[in-house]
Amino acid sequence: MATRLANWLDERIHWQGVWQAVFLRNVPKVNWLYTLGSATLFVALNQVVTGILLTIYYVPTPDHAYDSVQFITQEVTAGWLIRGLHHWGASAMVVLCILHMLRVVFHGAYKFPREVTWWSGVFLLVIVIGFGFTGYLLPWDQKAYWATTVGTRIAAVTPVVGEALLRLLRGGEELSAVTLARFYGIHIWVLPAGLLLLIAFHMYLVIRIGISAAPKRGE
Amino acid sequence: MEKPVLPRRGFLSTVTWAIGALIAAGFGVPAVAYVVGPALKPAQTGEWVPLGSTGKVEIGTPTLFNVAVERKTGWIVNQEKVSIYVLTPDGRDFIAMSNICTHLGCRVRWIADQDSFFCPCHNGVFDAQGSVVSGPPPRPLDRYEVKVEGDQLFVRGV
Repeated sequence: MATRLANWLDERIHWQGVWQAVFLRNVPKVNWLYTLGSATLFVALNQVVTGILLTIYYVPTPDHAYDSVQFITQEVTAGWLIRGLHHWGASAMVVLCILHMLRVVFHGAYKFPREVTWWSGVFLLVIVIGFGFTGYLLPWDQKAYWATTVGTRIAAVTPVVGEALLRLLRGGEELSAVTLARFYGIHIWVLPAGLLLLIAFHMYLVIRIGISAAPKRGE
Repeated sequence: MEKPVLPRRGFLSTVTWAIGALIAAGFGVPAVAYVVGPALKPAQTGEWVPLGSTGKVEIGTPTLFNVAVERKTGWIVNQEKVSIYVLTPDGRDFIAMSNICTHLGCRVRWIADQDSFFCPCHNGVFDAQGSVVSGPPPRPLDRYEVKVEGDQLFVRGV
């Protein structure tokens, strides 16, 4: 039954070729370090799922942000788990990205013909850091407030455009409701859009070009 | 050589799908609990709420009392205004009725001229005891538990 349905669908949308290319493609003999990219992708998926769930209760205004986060953590069923997964997943994202990049660097896998894959990966890291920076403010507790005060102040050190950059980030002179709202908007709309597009591009290149074999001694 | 019943590739494929299903359930079950959790929480209605003096209730006519009740919804604690009609035939026995129409939740009003409660949304009409006279309401007005201490009226279930 399942096979017949799969074939019926394949005659129409030719999904089996895509499935073959994505999941059944041949790869060189590799080791566990080659799973770091997939691990990052898995945690990214975790961030998407738990992040969407958090928006169900979280309210990004100064009078509700902190209380709604406390509500999620202490009163909503499994809220502690959802928030915990998102919180620790955020750190795991950064760590895994960097380990993945180190693997690529040490194996020289960024070289021809995979330079574009590497660049897209670098942009992905920037986006992940952007997620970390904007997400850190959202609980709106003392740590979040002062970390973002300092973090945005660092942007002001930029020569010439520093002060303008600071105002742009904060949406004004001070860290305020405007800052919280725009950080939220960036965190749940702008960055996810960029992340998903870039992941799609990154994955396309990985599959299209194929991954490099582990270099041998003396190579 | 005999072909194995379960080839290596088939076994690994099954195991992979099983792990995937476990992970999906690991996310899915808490996610559902998380979304429906607050909806399953019972309303807190255990407190006796003081309405006022029994002397204020006119005999035979539903009398309106407005009280402020503290309600916690999500993370927000609010003073909510609740309107309650109290009826007494003799000044000793009291019934307290909600002013919320049992049809779709609009607020009913006592119209003294017509000796009935009237709901403006869909023309529901209730008599002084809260029983349905005409219109779409499926059941009488909801009642609250009443107690009298001294000359003070209290209701519970608000």
